[in-house]
Amino acid sequence: MKLLKPSWVSQNGKPIFSVDIHPDGTKFATGGQGEDSGKVVIWNMAPVLREEDEKNENVPKMLCQMDNHLACVNCVRWSNNGLYLASGGDDKLVMVWKKAAFIGPSTVFGSSSKLANVEQWRCVTILRNHTGDVMDVAWSPHDVWLASCSVDNTIVIWNARKFPEIVTTLKGHTGLVKGLTWDPVGKYIASQADDHSLKVWRTMDWQLDTNITKPFSECGGTTHVLRLSWSPDGQYLVSAHAMNNSGPTAQIIERDGWKTNMDFVGHRKAVTVVKFNPKIFKKKQRNGSAPKPSCPYCCCAVGSKDRSLSVWLTSLKRPLVVIHDLFDKSIMDITWTLNGLGMLVCSMDGTVAFLDFSQDELGDPLNEEEKNTIHQNIYGKSLAITMETQLSSTIIENPEMLKYQQERPGAQTTSRVQGAGLENQTPKLTNVVNGESLEDIRKNLLKKQVETRTADGRRRITPLCIAQLDTGGTPALNSVGQKSNLLLTAASKIEPMKALDSRFTERSKATPGVTSAPVNLGISPLDSSDSEDKVQKAPPLAKRKTDMEAAEVVEKRKKGRPRKDAKMMMAVPQAYPQVQDGSPKPGQTSPTISLKLHAPAIQKSFTIQVGTDPVMYLEVENDASVVAGARISQLRCSRDGREWDTVLPSRIATATGSSDVVAVACEDRTLSVFSACGRRLLPSIMLPAPISTLHCSAFFVMALTASATLSVWDVQKQVALVKNESLHSILSGSDATVSHSMLTDQGVPVVGLSNGKSFCFSSAMETWNLIVDKQDALVQCADFRNCLSSQDALGSTGPLAATQGRTLSASRLASRLSSAPHHLQQGMTLAFLEQQLSSALVLRSTAEYRHWLLIYTRFIVNEGYEQRLRELCKDLLGPVHKSSSSSWEPTVLGLRKRDVLAEVLPVIGQNLRFQRLFTEYQDQLEIVRLK
Amino acid sequence: MAKVQVLNVAVLDNPSPFGNPFQFEITFECMEDLPEDLEWKIIYVGSAESEEYDQTLDSVLVGPVPAGRHMFVFQADAPNTALIPESDAVGVTVVLITCTYRGQEFIRIGYYVNNEYTDAELRENPPLKPDYGQLQRNILASNPRVTRFHINWEGCSEKMEDSENVDPAPNAMLPPSCPPGKAPPLGLMPDNSMDCL
Repeated sequence: MKLLKPSWVSQNGKPIFSVDIHPDGTKFATGGQGEDSGKVVIWNMAPVLREEDEKNENVPKMLCQMDNHLACVNCVRWSNNGLYLASGGDDKLVMVWKKAAFIGPSTVFGSSSKLANVEQWRCVTILRNHTGDVMDVAWSPHDVWLASCSVDNTIVIWNARKFPEIVTTLKGHTGLVKGLTWDPVGKYIASQADDHSLKVWRTMDWQLDTNITKPFSECGGTTHVLRLSWSPDGQYLVSAHAMNNSGPTAQIIERDGWKTNMDFVGHRKAVTVVKFNPKIFKKKQRNGSAPKPSCPYCCCAVGSKDRSLSVWLTSLKRPLVVIHDLFDKSIMDITWTLNGLGMLVCSMDGTVAFLDFSQDELGDPLNEEEKNTIHQNIYGKSLAITMETQLSSTIIENPEMLKYQQERPGAQTTSRVQGAGLENQTPKLTNVVNGESLEDIRKNLLKKQVETRTADGRRRITPLCIAQLDTGGTPALNSVGQKSNLLLTAASKIEPMKALDSRFTERSKATPGVTSAPVNLGISPLDSSDSEDKVQKAPPLAKRKTDMEAAEVVEKRKKGRPRKDAKMMMAVPQAYPQVQDGSPKPGQTSPTISLKLHAPAIQKSFTIQVGTDPVMYLEVENDASVVAGARISQLRCSRDGREWDTVLPSRIATATGSSDVVAVACEDRTLSVFSACGRRLLPSIMLPAPISTLHCSAFFVMALTASATLSVWDVQKQVALVKNESLHSILSGSDATVSHSMLTDQGVPVVGLSNGKSFCFSSAMETWNLIVDKQDALVQCADFRNCLSSQDALGSTGPLAATQGRTLSASRLASRLSSAPHHLQQGMTLAFLEQQLSSALVLRSTAEYRHWLLIYTRFIVNEGYEQRLRELCKDLLGPVHKSSSSSWEPTVLGLRKRDVLAEVLPVIGQNLRFQRLFTEYQDQLEIVRLK
Repeated sequence: MAKVQVLNVAVLDNPSPFGNPFQFEITFECMEDLPEDLEWKIIYVGSAESEEYDQTLDSVLVGPVPAGRHMFVFQADAPNTALIPESDAVGVTVVLITCTYRGQEFIRIGYYVNNEYTDAELRENPPLKPDYGQLQRNILASNPRVTRFHINWEGCSEKMEDSENVDPAPNAMLPPSCPPGKAPPLGLMPDNSMDCL
């Protein structure tokens, strides 16, 4: 073990309350007291890890400092994806920070420090709800939620996908809440407070699961923080300050029954912080010794008010190491590197210490796969864990991100050199706006700026925009991602899925077109670096041109952004000789001008996730390279670690895929279909209008065009199932618009409208059929609860359920409140169930048909609808004796009707009233079977 | 978190004769499009003794402000000498730049200003009645004092309950900490000027 105290990590000697290492290990954050405010500082990890980097003046030590907290910062925590930093402080606020991509170094205006910020971290949200100091914050696994706890005795769960939305407030503590930890499996969150209790809350319903008080009954409220921690295998929860026989301990709580039989003993004063190593270890196999099957174990660091630190392995009875007198004051926070071998500890005395372990000391860390296996063995394949398996792909991502990170410093140093030309007192703005340097603009700013008078005679200055923010990009990308993901409607309701989505859109944003050279582009006759040069050189040319045309319009545009500005559009063809004639103008080409659907905007690049098992990612990069003057767009698909890519001559508007095919619609109205391995299956299909929405399912491809026509093809059989069918009949007469659409596994298209109605198109009948109407009174009043068996209670899954969504469960709730007379409700329920049955039939959803048929049968049996029951049985049985004139179909949706009857009969047998009917059909079924 | 961050204020035309207009080039960044204008003010503190000599030199609306980084030059006429107590004309005083959104002040930037005679003779024996024509104004541009306040960016000017949102006293600016190596270039700062600060 190596121990280092980097003296340069200091907040001017003020206490450091919190430290957290970024998931990628390249930086860490500290939080604490500033001059007259709270302070968050982001530090470079490299000088801590390597001595030569520490000595090298060109390697920055401090990356960014933020003085925005009004009072002392008690906690800093990186999100698991590393994109955000959350900080909480005595000013009752939680701030969420994000790195701003476009700005170079600058100082904080008005701060006494003249050190430039190398990175810019910008507060993107401020979360206000607590009425007292925020003591701890914690991101849930997969960054779905952010939890914060406070001296106001509450814990607030924030929706990390939609700040500042509050999911819930956990109330129950009667003292200052000073620590939080999430269960790595995502089922619980635990909190420890000054009220001598540790509480475990369920994330499913946010109720208290257990309240542990015994080990804390002797504790006095003397520690500043109580940072507890959950082991990476989820089996143990370790508390901060607990007491055993009047001695301070860290209590170990077993997940199984929340037993409190063990503790970590030895510290002389209260334990302030416990932090588990993120890795699970197994014993290092020594050469020569026989490989013994050993249990995997965890590693845990404990820091105390007695200024000492102990590190424990759950496989050892005694601590692995104890370090005394590491600090002059209490230890406040501990953080591990993601690889599990490094640790940073901070103290109230304003210093930090870095501990570097070797694998000989800790053991061999399990890789993600082995860790997942452990999770699966213990907890089964819960969603959180399958997500984690998918997350393992982020490890593949990291080198890419790393590469990107390495490229950036280069760009920054150049901008720093330019910045040196400006006076010292101004921040080093290096933006060159439309070819004109900022210096030139500043000289004439007073003369140039537009000043008007308002109606009441006041001066009004229009400020000059010198840089645009890149904040708006994410939602737009997201919406497109979701649109093309509608096949996953059911799945997308599950929060962690979204977490993954957003990560991927983020990533695609983080790799601008210029940096990711299309190396895999096999057909490129040019050297890829050459084509890259062209891309880089062209925009300034265009920019200068624009500049002369419009000196007033001074805007810096991010390279590679879609250019919306009309003037820019004019300038662009100069640089790119090939003019895009197919720029989408919805409706212009369509014959029926009355109906228009939204066509997606062309984006520079986007990534979408298709399917869940196996997960497939489609990455689109438009204008990826220029080959002989023509711009080439690239489509990359990865599934199960297998990748393929292909190129298209036109910009890609939308892409989607299924387990069998991948479909891509381009700006030039062509639709291309590829096999799962990237083979082109069809020549480009020419669409009658620009694409609005595209779906794939199995071998079916569905295209909804901007002129509101629908087509569905079976690519395997190469036939059209639906041919240019107009949405006129469902859209006319109302001002509803298409809000979502999907394609079932059986190739049945479903279109949902903004008025809550959903239709599917039956290709056999050539009709639009109403399958969902959210305003439908039947849905509201139908009550068939007592017809649900225990296994039905979970509901069905399939296209019908996906379209109807939550209305059903809501209806069951509503039915409890409704006071309709019984016979009316009976009739409504019957009508509703028949509607469900026929909808499932027309959607060709076998499982749902069976599901609803059983419920329907139970209902008519319970309520005694004999006629209907008889008709149903008759249809299921069919003619017992063969006759050529019979048009009876022996199967329905692939189910043999007589098998279904055999399943239905026991239900009928439950009502004595239908004894005869039961015997009658049972006998006939027997006869048929004997034949 | 403030939606508007002031990134820099450059003091133009400094030092300059007392009668010249003030010019500040302000660079700020806005997190998202602001539906309403920002209101900027320049306030000249006429006397350390009392707020009643504060002069608002000018106030200006700035807008529209879309998300992004913006700059503008705020020019305001020199203070009305008739409103300045004669005893306070020469020496150190303060000029404040404030910005409000929806009637709530969220940033206050203060600069120390030293008014002195350029002429050595006048400096030694200043006239009883200040000769504004001979006075030079020197703004201590390298040492702005910035105070930020949390405001409710969404709602109108209704005050939030938090104590940090209470409007600061107009003279809440703290005295500059003058580290030995970084002595302000305007000579000695009279002790009594601290009283107001």
